[in-house]
Amino acid sequence: MEGRSLNYSLRQKKEAEDPMVRAHQYFDDAKPGILWKGNDILEMHLTNIENQAFGWGLSPVLIDVLLDFALGLKAGRATSARIMKCLIPATVVPENSLIKGVSWICVGTLPTNLQITFFRWFITMFDFIDSKEHLNSLYGILFYFLQDENLCPYVCNLLYLLTTRENVKPYRVRRVMDLYSKIGMQPYFKDLLALYKVLRPDLVSISIPSRSKNSFKNADTTWKAAILAVQKKKKSEISLTLTESSDLKKPRMQLSRKRKYNKMMTVPPVESRLPETTSLSFVNLTRPKMFPIVQLTSFQQLLQNIDKIELPSQMGSVLNSHLLLHYINCVKDDSVFLRFDYWLGHTLNEEFLHCKYASSSTEVQDFFNKLITAQSFLQEGFHSSEMFVYKFLQVWDTSLYRTQILSLLSCVSVGQKADLMQPLYEPLTSLFFSSSVYFKCSLFDCLNNLLVNWLTWHSVYATDAVDMSLPGHSPMNMNLSVVVKSISELIEFVGRIATIGLHLEGYHTLFLHFVLNFYETVCDMYLLYDLPLVIMPPAGVFYPALLSMDAINLNQLCHIMYRYRENLVAAKNPELQSKRRLYISSATYKECNQYVVTMVNYLWNSKAHVSSNTLDTGLNSEILKKANITDFKKRFNVVYHPALFGYALDFCKKCWTNKGQSNINSIKGKYWDYYLKYLYSQNLRGLKEFIESSVSRKAESTSD
Amino acid sequence: MSVLNMFHKHPELNTASILLVETERQHQDKLAEAILAAQRSFNVNVHLADSLPLPTRNEANRPRIDLVVFIVNHFSSRSLELTKSYLQHLDVMYFLGRLCFLVNDARSAKSDPDKLHAVREMAAKYSSPLLFTELQTEQGLATAADRLLVFTKVSAGFVPGVSSLFLNTLTSCSHPMESSSNTLVDTD
Repeated sequence: MEGRSLNYSLRQKKEAEDPMVRAHQYFDDAKPGILWKGNDILEMHLTNIENQAFGWGLSPVLIDVLLDFALGLKAGRATSARIMKCLIPATVVPENSLIKGVSWICVGTLPTNLQITFFRWFITMFDFIDSKEHLNSLYGILFYFLQDENLCPYVCNLLYLLTTRENVKPYRVRRVMDLYSKIGMQPYFKDLLALYKVLRPDLVSISIPSRSKNSFKNADTTWKAAILAVQKKKKSEISLTLTESSDLKKPRMQLSRKRKYNKMMTVPPVESRLPETTSLSFVNLTRPKMFPIVQLTSFQQLLQNIDKIELPSQMGSVLNSHLLLHYINCVKDDSVFLRFDYWLGHTLNEEFLHCKYASSSTEVQDFFNKLITAQSFLQEGFHSSEMFVYKFLQVWDTSLYRTQILSLLSCVSVGQKADLMQPLYEPLTSLFFSSSVYFKCSLFDCLNNLLVNWLTWHSVYATDAVDMSLPGHSPMNMNLSVVVKSISELIEFVGRIATIGLHLEGYHTLFLHFVLNFYETVCDMYLLYDLPLVIMPPAGVFYPALLSMDAINLNQLCHIMYRYRENLVAAKNPELQSKRRLYISSATYKECNQYVVTMVNYLWNSKAHVSSNTLDTGLNSEILKKANITDFKKRFNVVYHPALFGYALDFCKKCWTNKGQSNINSIKGKYWDYYLKYLYSQNLRGLKEFIESSVSRKAESTSD
Repeated sequence: MSVLNMFHKHPELNTASILLVETERQHQDKLAEAILAAQRSFNVNVHLADSLPLPTRNEANRPRIDLVVFIVNHFSSRSLELTKSYLQHLDVMYFLGRLCFLVNDARSAKSDPDKLHAVREMAAKYSSPLLFTELQTEQGLATAADRLLVFTKVSAGFVPGVSSLFLNTLTSCSHPMESSSNTLVDTD
């Protein structure tokens, strides 16, 4: 620190006297075969170096020289071991010296314990290496060292740190599996294989127990402690030099450490094996076909290089990049999805489902939101997120990440096996009935989204191929009957829980609204989504809506019945009927007709509770007469219906303000028409559609 | 052997009573507070106990219990064994939908799939609902309280046309989940 204030000549003089400079020169010039016993000069330099190393750390150049000296065995094994112990970097470790070190190992003159020491040092210093551009080319050589029983654990650890997707080759996997079976279930093999499986799930076929924690001890404690002490001392200085010398590399280094050692629920950054700083010409020389993903910044670039994109080393990073999502959407390679799915399943299970306090809630929410965005972008659910949702439903308390879990749930794909009873409907039933009305509403919203997703998916794929046997990588090859079966199962399930749920909640208005929202999707399946299926709502939904106390629900029911009518009329078209198979039975027509007749009777003809059909409320006129309810027949027509009564009163006030005879009974004849126009003007469009489509003008004249 | 009887006492007007039984008394108090703080249309008494049978000296002052909730600690097998032994002190009528098991923190890394499976089996055997909760957070407590009140409302007879047995058929734990010790299965 003082040296900065002194002038140049003084500094030079000082450096010449500096023991470190002299030591550097001594070790640099050293020839092999130095005597170490009784060598005072060597002893002096070594002591100086040790003091410097444990006090301030060694400079990169000095580390390079010393490592060369030690591994070259220039002054005997004992000296080499002593030097290895004090190789504490002040700032960084040069990549070159490591490559040199590995070449010394290859010479084969080193004793085993020194080799082990070197590898341990390598592993400990891994995060301090100044650049890792060429280290990966050592992969093959290091892999060779796996044969050595003594080195094996350390080499495994090192390989674990170095492995990228390109390194995972069938012959390497075979070799590791061989060793795995020969040497036995060593944890370091298991971890290396697990990493291979993450990167290339298609190559590693054995199942690896997930609960095993990472067995590699990343740091050798004595070195680590020394480094920490050095860093603490020179904290300000180091940060200064680091920002100056390796501006680019520092953040990447930190991120890569986080990726492997911290159990956190984060999306990895977009990284690829190719360094971002290399010029394109260099890329062309070494890897003519690949385009590094970190250089991808615009859609234009993606289009130009679409055939030579190199996938990121961590598939999870695609969640961060819209361009990559575009890419994996159109790529035909199955392994891309496989890799991504494997990573996702692993992250969701290990880092969320079984890891409690490690991830903060905002982090998890961010992760889920990214996943949901990606799924809605690709318009299909990932297999492993589906599996996760099914598993999580089993232990869910209905409030933890409710929004996110329900969104994930609505992305579940149409079941291939068409049997969602056990994984989905059973847990949902018990969650639904044991929760408050607000959860019931959210769940219905989610089920509605699920149905819309299924229908959208169907309409997109069904138009391409008549028999729905799809080409390409989509795993959802299935025929129409399976889709129809899945969708009708879902609708029947919802019908069941809606009927009982409405009863349990005392026909809660808000909940009824959500139920009707669902049926608004159901009624238009044929015309809007081209699915030849019509399913009517159960009586337990129809009557509560028809007799409901508020106009919004009644209006919505009218709209739904109008759409049902339109769909069924369109499906009756004989030309269409001959062309394709319809899944609409005559019972559906009958049911729909009965509903429409009932509605017209209630709302228009003032004949409530008189029809004889089996679906009616079951109240007969005898009982109502006994209960002294007069005029029950017209209690539910458009004037007296509890949902519309307010409108009728308002209409009366506006109509007969001057005459002062505001009598609801006088809404008859031409006033009936005026009243209808008034109702239509109040945004009751559903009612308008229903009355105009289902009530003929003749009926109108008789109703007066 | 003394038995907690369902119909030996008259119900109080617009009032329901819940009995929370937890051997270790970890979450009982907070859950009781959450139940009392929850929005509802009727009065609630919450009684706490760490074991059954209940002491006989307060017998006369105790109101009719409408819902019995067992908070099972699935980390210890002792808790499960004790809960099983308490069940014999309950009137048969409680098993028709007035009984509920509650497990906290089931998704934790510490949880043992086998023990969780045993709890599921027990709930399925008595065809009673099994609720999973996150009682360590405020939100989790409020949700658990809300869900217990859904059962209480029905078992105290405040929902017309719905009996506790009917609700029980919809919510009871029927299928014990398969043991999921191996979460990573082969993708090929």
